[in-house]
Formats: sequence, C-alpha cells, structure tokens
Amino acid sequence: MDKKLLDILACPICKGPLVYREARQELVCRADRLAFPIRDGIPVMLEEEARRLPADEEIEEA
Amino acid sequence: MAEGRDEELTDFGYRKVPVHEKARRVGAVFDSVADRYDLMNDLMSFGIHRAWKAFAIEMSGVRPGEQVLDVAGGTGDLTARFARRVGPKGRVVLSDINASMLRRGRDRLLDRGVGGNVRFVQADAEALPFRDNAFDCVSIAFGLRNVTNKEAALRSMYRVLRPGGRLLVLEFSRLRIRPLQPLYDFYSFTVLPALGKLVVDDADSYRYLAESIRVHPDQESLREMMRAAGFEAVEYHDLSGGIVALHRGFKF
Repeated sequence: MDKKLLDILACPICKGPLVYREARQELVCRADRLAFPIRDGIPVMLEEEARRLPADEEIEEA
Repeated sequence: MAEGRDEELTDFGYRKVPVHEKARRVGAVFDSVADRYDLMNDLMSFGIHRAWKAFAIEMSGVRPGEQVLDVAGGTGDLTARFARRVGPKGRVVLSDINASMLRRGRDRLLDRGVGGNVRFVQADAEALPFRDNAFDCVSIAFGLRNVTNKEAALRSMYRVLRPGGRLLVLEFSRLRIRPLQPLYDFYSFTVLPALGKLVVDDADSYRYLAESIRVHPDQESLREMMRAAGFEAVEYHDLSGGIVALHRGFKF
C-alpha cells in the first residue's frame, strides 16, 4: 500500500483518518469501527463491502 | 422488493427504480460491458470520444506535479492522459465504484506503460474516501449520468478539491442542432442497441445508455447543479453540437 495514497485516503463516511493493517490488508476507521478491504492491491472504500468490527476487537493507533 | 413500500424513486434510463436499486443495476450494466467497453466507445462515437476527452484534458490546465482524481474513471482513458501531464512528481487517482471496470483499467494502463504515478481506489462518487482539499483537479467523464444522487456527488467532489482546484464534467448533453434530432434519435434508440447486441450481445445495456442520456440534466441545469454544490465561475462548452458538453467549475 502506497504511503502517499494512504496520506490522502479517508473514511468515506466520517472522512476521518484510517489505520492501515498490513497483515490483514485492510483499512480501519476507528470512529465508525469499519474495516475496508484491500483486494488485489486496490482499497475497496465502500461501506457495503466493509467488515463491521466486533465490539471486542481492539484497534491499534494510527 | 415489497410492494407498496414507500420509497423514493430515481431514473434508470426511462424507467423509475427505487433509489437503493440504481447502483446495483448500473453495476450490472458495467459488469456486462467492461471487457468491450473501449471498443464500443470507438464504434459508437466513430472515435470522436477521443477528441472530447482530449478537449477536457486541455481545459483542465493540469500541470506537472499536480494531484488529480479521475472519478468513475472506468477503463482509464482520462487517467492515462492526466498521468502524462502530471509527470513523475504528480499523481493521478483513478476511482470507480465498479471492480470489473477498475481491474480492466489497471490492466489496460499497465499494458500502455502508464502507471508509476497512478493509484486505484474503488469508491462511490457520492461518498469519496479522501481528505478535504486533497486534489488540484477532479474529473468525471461519462460518469455523472450513472450516479444515483448527482447533488451528493458534486458536493463530494467539491469537498476533496483544494481551494483553486477545478472540476471537469464531461457528459452527454442536449443536441443543439434541431434538424439533426431525428437522425440522432434513430441512432440512439435503434442503431445503438443493435450495435450493443452485435458486439457484447447485450442490447439492454445500450438501450439504458441511450435513455440515460436523455434524462440527464441539460447544459444549463447541470451548470445550476454545480453552482448549488458550491462551484464558482462555472462554464460549459458544447462539443459535437451539444451531443456532449464539458462543464468546468472552480472551488475558491
């Protein structure tokens, strides 16, 4: 995942910053508790494609 | 969907469909045509779509080092041209809501040797996943027509533009040459679906295309919509007699 792209990407819902989880290949919005998948190197920034984080899943700092 | 359910309707070509269904239906159209999309564009427009796109790039005034977002960029025609203009220090983000079109775009750009400064993001034009003021230029070519909530898309594109940035909307519009109208109608509603049937074995998708062009806002209406979304100094240029129009607006 390209650092410069990461710098301008934001949550499509709250426009807040995202946490990049390299191992899981996903981008996480802490506020909305959504994980957006990165498929084949392409971030899929659609709410309906995002994984809703369970209440007990901790989110690391950005 | 359940009958009698109270839900807002939107246009899907000449038909009305529930708002929540349009995106899926448009998605099906593009899944169906993605592989032959570029060939069809050449056939349908006799290659003239290249000139329309070249004009849009010219009007963008994009310079080396700038950040460009190509919304609903599909198979990457505009992106390829922008990528050459912004050079190695600039960047172009190609976004599309449809995964089939985006993959096709990526493969095609790589084949053409474009790509070092291009990034891909699957996104909805109505809810762009970028920070405020991130781009010098945003473009949407033959995409706004397919967006369910055009006002939301225009506001979203406004938000991600930096002050001084500009939006370019290239889209089918209203033919201004009256005597040509019957010919244009025959071409749109008879020739196009037949061509679609022949090339991609899908007349319905191209019937949708023809219909969606007719229900899309005309030149003046789109200008008003852009102003309402916050854009200033909005102007448009008719291309090919108004079959297509290029609108440009600024965020100051």
